[in-house]
Amino acid sequence: MASISDEDMATLQKLSNDYEPEVEGPLVGQRQSSHAITAQYAQADPVYVRKTAALPHTYSHYRTVRGDGNCGWRAIMFGYFEALLRLGDPMKILAEESRLKSLNNLLNAVGFQEVLYEDFVEETISLLRQTATSIPCHDNGAGLLHSFNDAGMSNAIITHFRLITSAWMKTHADTYQPFLPDKSVDEYCATSIEPYQVEIEHLGMNALIEAVINPAGMAVEILYLDRSEGNEVNSHRFELLGPDGQALHPHAPTIRLLYRPGHYDLLYKIEDIADMMAPVQVSQMPMPAVYSMSHYSGFEATPSYSHTDTAPGFAILNLSPNVQMADFPSLTGFSPTYDLPASFIDDLSPSPISPAPETLPSPPMSIPSATSMTRAQECSFRKSKYEVEPEYRRPVVHQAPCETPAMKNNGASPAHFRSEDFQPEICDPGSEYRVRGKR
Amino acid sequence: MAYNVEDSQNSAPGIPTMHEAVKLAPPSRRHDTQSVTKRLQTELMQLMLSSTPGISAFPDVEGSLLNWTATITGPADTPYEKLHFKLAFNFPPNYPYSPPTVLFKTPIYHPNVDFSGRICLDILKDKWSAVYNMQGVLLSLQSLLGEPNNASPLNGQAAELWDKDPTEFKRLVLARHVELDE
Repeated sequence: MASISDEDMATLQKLSNDYEPEVEGPLVGQRQSSHAITAQYAQADPVYVRKTAALPHTYSHYRTVRGDGNCGWRAIMFGYFEALLRLGDPMKILAEESRLKSLNNLLNAVGFQEVLYEDFVEETISLLRQTATSIPCHDNGAGLLHSFNDAGMSNAIITHFRLITSAWMKTHADTYQPFLPDKSVDEYCATSIEPYQVEIEHLGMNALIEAVINPAGMAVEILYLDRSEGNEVNSHRFELLGPDGQALHPHAPTIRLLYRPGHYDLLYKIEDIADMMAPVQVSQMPMPAVYSMSHYSGFEATPSYSHTDTAPGFAILNLSPNVQMADFPSLTGFSPTYDLPASFIDDLSPSPISPAPETLPSPPMSIPSATSMTRAQECSFRKSKYEVEPEYRRPVVHQAPCETPAMKNNGASPAHFRSEDFQPEICDPGSEYRVRGKR
Repeated sequence: MAYNVEDSQNSAPGIPTMHEAVKLAPPSRRHDTQSVTKRLQTELMQLMLSSTPGISAFPDVEGSLLNWTATITGPADTPYEKLHFKLAFNFPPNYPYSPPTVLFKTPIYHPNVDFSGRICLDILKDKWSAVYNMQGVLLSLQSLLGEPNNASPLNGQAAELWDKDPTEFKRLVLARHVELDE
């Protein structure tokens, strides 16, 4: 074997140290149906097949996060901002802003220099303010998603929360030291929390949740998808517990993470998405908002809204109602769900008002829901031909009556309806057998 | 995959879907460079305002802040006492998330520096984090001169001599040292 000089060795070592696997995809992806996860594992180990097949029943949607070594951090921070947007309370965001600013004291306490961290804090605060101004949310969180895909902002926020987590661990060393048999808390923070692109571990996740997420009144649920026994993913919920061991806020907004060894993504239950629509009363909306959209945005409801004419993907909509619940969310995964709650909810629970297939294909889009709602209440707008109102009665069908002589004398001929003296045959249930017997 | 089909055909014109919004404005390199520049300006300001004895640093050329030359003075009571060492700093585009590359330009005989001037220091590698800065790195390097990490040497002979034969060590330091001109 040819000997390798020290110089070459050093070069090789450097190459090896600098090697970064290609990571693809957006930093934070679109929300999509979790059926996609099932599809990914279709050919995998039976344990995975079972678990991923069960997953979409509980968690309808998921969102990918780029596996660049920051995914756990990025996922949870995105979830935090999304939960604030979902709560839709600017005062809450203001409270969070002051709380996070006050955590600068914690950073100072462990010796981080303000000149070095202030830029990161600034980015967090500016995204909080941006989130507050986008309430009520008209862009379906597109602004938030965009900000999180801006590497500068996203990374600064992650760094800010890495520092808070580190400072929290160092100031609560008694709590965390027992979990670190072979190193000090300071050393753990220096190697596993503070450096950028070092993945979050269970201990760091605990500290981050205790320092930032739980005090914000939020809970975190982590679903572990691994090869362990069972037919469903194991889950663990991190939340504030009272002295009796019961959750203090069982209905706290929850950030859900899907953990696959070495990687975190975001998960959603259908009610998380429905939550975003909570402030709007469905009863105030007599019609699905999609029709108001076609009216007010200046273009007419065209036949392209009918299911026959839409994109091929929508063929799936023509399914029987029981499959619909499972499949529909996949189609709205990418589409705004904040703005058009009524149509969305109508669609989810097939209402007596409108047959679902007709309302589904219309693209729910960013329509200022407040405007369309109030206007929808005060004026009647042009309805689609597919709209069926509650007091709907089937119109009289004007068929051309059959005029042949044979039919004229037939009792079943519709021509008799024209005669004023016509008396339709009265049904007599008791005589049914006799009548049938005659024929 | 039907699940991922995005209905772009039926979207209203002018209102980007989330997907489009992301595509329209991808995370720009320009933003990164801006934030690096901003950060380095802050550091320059900080270095100039709080002149720490024994260390100094300044960008190489006007305009680009990504390459700096720094000087540290050997601490008292060490073999490097009163010697001056020049260092080259190169900042990556994603600074401060990644550490700068630091090289000794002045030839130095030290257990943790090789003959090309490359340095083995944890905070320039896996322990780097965004709250370190030039000043911190320079102070760490200065203390490294007096307290080498002999457990993981780049220069094995130096690591051995440090404890065994301080006189010989000092002789080799001075033999290798060359004062560089400004």
